[in-house]
Parts: sequence; C-alpha cells; structure tokens
Amino acid sequence: EYEEKTGRAHRPLSPKQNVRKNLDFEPLSTTALILEDRPANLPAKPAEEAQKHRQQYEEMVVQAKKRELKEAQKRKKQLEERCKLEDSIGNAVLTWNNEILPNWETMCCSRKVRELWWQGIPPSVRGKVWSLAIGNELNITHELYDICLARAKEKWRSLSTGGAEVECEDAGFSAADREASLELIKLDISRTFPNLCIFQHGGPYHDTLHSILGAYTCYRPDVGYVQGMSFIAAVLILNLDTADAFIAFSNLLNKPCQMAFFRVDHGLMLTYFAAFEVFFEENLPRLFAHFKKNNLTPDIYLIDWIFTLYSKSLPLDLACRVWDVFCRDGEEFLFRTALGILKLFEDILTKMDFIHIAQFLTKLPEDLPSEEFFTSIAAIQMQSRNKKWAQVKRMLIFDNR
Amino acid sequence: MARKEIPGTSLEGIRPTYVYKVVLLGNTSVGKSSLAYRYVKNDFKESLPTVGCSFFTQMINLEVATVKFEIWDTAGQEKYRSVCHLYYRGAHAALLVYDIANKETLSRAKLWLRDLEKEFLPDEIVIALVGNKTDLAAEREVNTEEGEEFARTKGLLFMETSAKTNHQVNDIFMAIAQELLQREQEKASAQSLHGRSTVDLGESGARTGCC
Repeated sequence: EYEEKTGRAHRPLSPKQNVRKNLDFEPLSTTALILEDRPANLPAKPAEEAQKHRQQYEEMVVQAKKRELKEAQKRKKQLEERCKLEDSIGNAVLTWNNEILPNWETMCCSRKVRELWWQGIPPSVRGKVWSLAIGNELNITHELYDICLARAKEKWRSLSTGGAEVECEDAGFSAADREASLELIKLDISRTFPNLCIFQHGGPYHDTLHSILGAYTCYRPDVGYVQGMSFIAAVLILNLDTADAFIAFSNLLNKPCQMAFFRVDHGLMLTYFAAFEVFFEENLPRLFAHFKKNNLTPDIYLIDWIFTLYSKSLPLDLACRVWDVFCRDGEEFLFRTALGILKLFEDILTKMDFIHIAQFLTKLPEDLPSEEFFTSIAAIQMQSRNKKWAQVKRMLIFDNR
Repeated sequence: MARKEIPGTSLEGIRPTYVYKVVLLGNTSVGKSSLAYRYVKNDFKESLPTVGCSFFTQMINLEVATVKFEIWDTAGQEKYRSVCHLYYRGAHAALLVYDIANKETLSRAKLWLRDLEKEFLPDEIVIALVGNKTDLAAEREVNTEEGEEFARTKGLLFMETSAKTNHQVNDIFMAIAQELLQREQEKASAQSLHGRSTVDLGESGARTGCC
C-alpha cells in the first residue's frame, strides 16, 4: 500500500521535472543525473531503495543548487564591482575633464582633487594631468623640440656617413662620448619594454623613442643619455604626443632629484640615500636594523628604482599609479614608495640574508597586489621628529658642506 | 675584507663552504647579464639594460669544498662608473668582460683593470678576462691571441665565451672557483707553517652555520 501511495504521489512529477519547476536555472552539475528505473530486463528496484535513491538525489540537487546559487551571486557581485569600477573611472574622467582640468590652478591642490588623484588618474586624462603637474619651467616649445630633433638627425647622418663634424658649442664633451651615447640609445631602445613589442625596431613607437632621446642629448649635451632614461621616455610616450612627451621628459629630468641621479652626482645621491634612511628607520625600525646588520645599503635597490621611476621594476599599471602621485607630491613620493615596498615585504625580508634581499628587491614579484601595495605606501609617514622630507634633506645637504 | 667561511658538515666530516663575491664589470651590452643568466639559469634571453646592479647566486659542490658565488652584475654605461666602486668593494673575484666583435670594449676592460689594481692588492682578488660573444665569429675584431697575451702579461685568467651558445660559460666560473680554492689552500698552508692555524679556526667560527 505504502509502495503504491508513494509511487503514485511521485509519479506525476518526475524528480527531474520537480527540480525544473523549483529552479530558475538548471544546475549544470546534475543534468547528467537522471533518476530512472532499472531496465525492463532486470528486476525492479525495491521500493525502499527507490525511495532512498530519490532522497539522495534530491539532497544532491539541493546541494548543487546552493553551490551554484552562491557562485552565481559571486559572479554577480564581481560584475557589479567591475561596473562600479568602470563607472567610477567614467565619473572620474568626467570630473577631471569638466571640473579639474579647466580650473587647474585653483583646483589642483584642493583636498578633493588630491584624494581623487591618489585613486589613480584615468588613462585617458593621465597625460594631460602629468603635463600640467610637471609643468614647463624650461619654457620648451614644440619648435625647440623640432630644432633639437633636426640637430640630432644631422648628427646621426654624419655618424653614419663617417663624417667627422666638429662642433665647438659642445666643447668639453668628446666626440667619442657623444657617439657612444647615440649608439647606446639605439641599443637600449630595443631593450625598453621588450614585452610590449612597440618600441622595438619596426614597432610603432620605435622612431618616437629614438627621436626624443636623441633630441634630449642635443638639448642637454651636459647630461647626455644615461641608461634608465629610455624607460622614462617610453612611459611618457605611452601617455602623450611626441613633442609634449619631450617637454615633460626634459622638465622631469630637470627636477633636483633626477638631475642628481642622471648626472651621477655621487655626493648628492648619497645625501638622498641618507635622507631616505632617516625615514626608513622611523617607519620600519626592525627591518632597518636587519638591513644594517647585513650591510645592505640603499644604493643596492634605490638606484634602479629612482633612475627608472619604478617603470622597470614594477608592473606598468602600478608604475603609472606611482607616477600619478609622484607628479602630485614630488620626489619624496619616490622614497615613500620605496618604503611602501619594504613595508609590504617586511616579514619576508627580515628572514633573508644580504644576497637574497638584494636579489629580491632588484627583481620584485611580478604579481604585486595593487591595493595592498598602495595601502602599504599610505601607511608610511613622511615625517621624522616633526621634520618633513625637504627639511631633512636640506639639513643633510648642509651637513655635507 | 676577509672571505667568509662557514664550516659545513658532510658525511665524511667537515667540508668547508666558502662564500665568494664575484663582480661582473665591462662595457654596456658586452653580455654581462647574459653571462650571469646563462651560468645561473642555463638559459639565454634578451636582457634589459642593467641600472645599478643586479644579483645572482650559484652554488658549486666540489670534492674539497662547497663554493657559493654571490654574483654582482653591474651597470655597464660609462656614466655609472662613479657608482661602480660601491659594487666591487670587497669582491673576491672579478670578471672583466669584453665583446670580441667590438675592439673598443677591450680597451674599456683594461681601464677597469686599472681601477681594480688601485683598489686591491694582487693576492686579494682573482681577475678573469672574458671575451664574450664567440658566436659572432664573423664580426670578430679582437683575436684570441690578443686577449690571451694581455691576460698573460697581467696574470689574469682568460677565456673566450658565448652566453648565447653556452660556450665555456661554466668553465670560466669553474676556473675562478678552482683558483680561489687554491689560494685558500696556499694561505692555509702558509699559516700552518707559521703555526697560526688555530687562530684561523677561531676566526672562521665567527660565522658558523649549517648548510
């Protein structure tokens, strides 16, 4: 009797249909599971067993449903977050374009703008903001760029035809030096962001990079080409038109910190390292002591980071975000970033010896988590006993005299 | 400036481990990073220009000792030269690398040698002259004999290599390891002649660790 009842009660709705009815989607993982009676040539399942199987099946379906609902919710949340992010980028673009950029002088230092700035500048306005923030103290015009480029091209021609053109205006810089510089530019271009495949020979930005670096050696023969520059120029090219990239490049390199490094002014570089160590000790005393014990001096890792403004050592999107805030806060942000990296990896670094720390810091992990990274930088205080970066630096420069 | 020693234990008893700092010097793009990369990873790839210094480690297990190399791969551009002395300070060995297809780079290697001679006494550092890029034989500008002759007069180890085709890269590092160990033995026997071996043991105990 019981058998009959249960059998009948369930027969009109096969479990599969039942499931279909209750779910707005088919649980993918259960579609292969169809509860059926045994084939006719075999003895039928005992009712108890059939009931048990039905129950088990239903439990499985419930579990699968739960699981898939959860996953669907997760996907929905991810999608929402992505939409939110894209919306916020879209909104940020509007804010930058409609409110901030037209009123740059009055707005650039406001709290609201500074906060938006920290979030990262949307790529479509990045170049404009960088240009404005870097400024053009040197008053370089597009015409001046053309002139410098024309001179560079002349030199390349005279080099390739083997003509020994003597130029009096560059007295003090041997022809061999400059020749080496021009040769080196060619060589380094092919080694700049090789993964992007756009600066290499035949790539779309090869000539642009070549032109900017060449024009710069004519604009500043006293500085010339220094390895590391090709990365800075390349990042600018990715965000600005050629002449504007040149203007930003020249002005950027003209800043005190960059000048000290690109002229390889050893004394001044040591001052920067010393100032950095003041803040290092203040922010991360435990790691600082560990580095001291291992004789790990800041030049080991800072030289590469400062020379290339992190564009060689960090993933490009993170490097651009560092550049964003570097444009806002100036040189001290470069050193704050360095401390942020050290803080992020403090626990690992404290367990390493000299050579492993050096190896680690000169080749950072490629999958640096961006949010944690910026949280870590934000946690660094650029204040030492009520003294700010600029004051500490000034004192050290004064002491060295 | 003393070389570091960590007495290690093996089944046969105590086999010393020596840690040596090896610095790569030479013009830009002669292949310093590629040599290091080939030696440590046994691979060849286009390297980015080195800014400052990059670092590698390699361990060699020899019958008499274990050698740990800490390889300092320096930036090659002339303009970085003033910071480079930061890097070769305290080195136990130096590879002066030049490009056999570029005569100019050998002259630069000679200048590096002069810098090193100012910084180190002859028995303080093992120096090897390395002519890299033998794969570019067709464009050769420096004869093997020329490099060899210069190395002989200056008492340097010499080898021609190719990081690209893996020609003699291992060999040059091995030769350096052998030379360093030989000097180690000479020093030890000189000291035991003077009856100072016990002092040495005491000193080496300063950095005890196990490997």
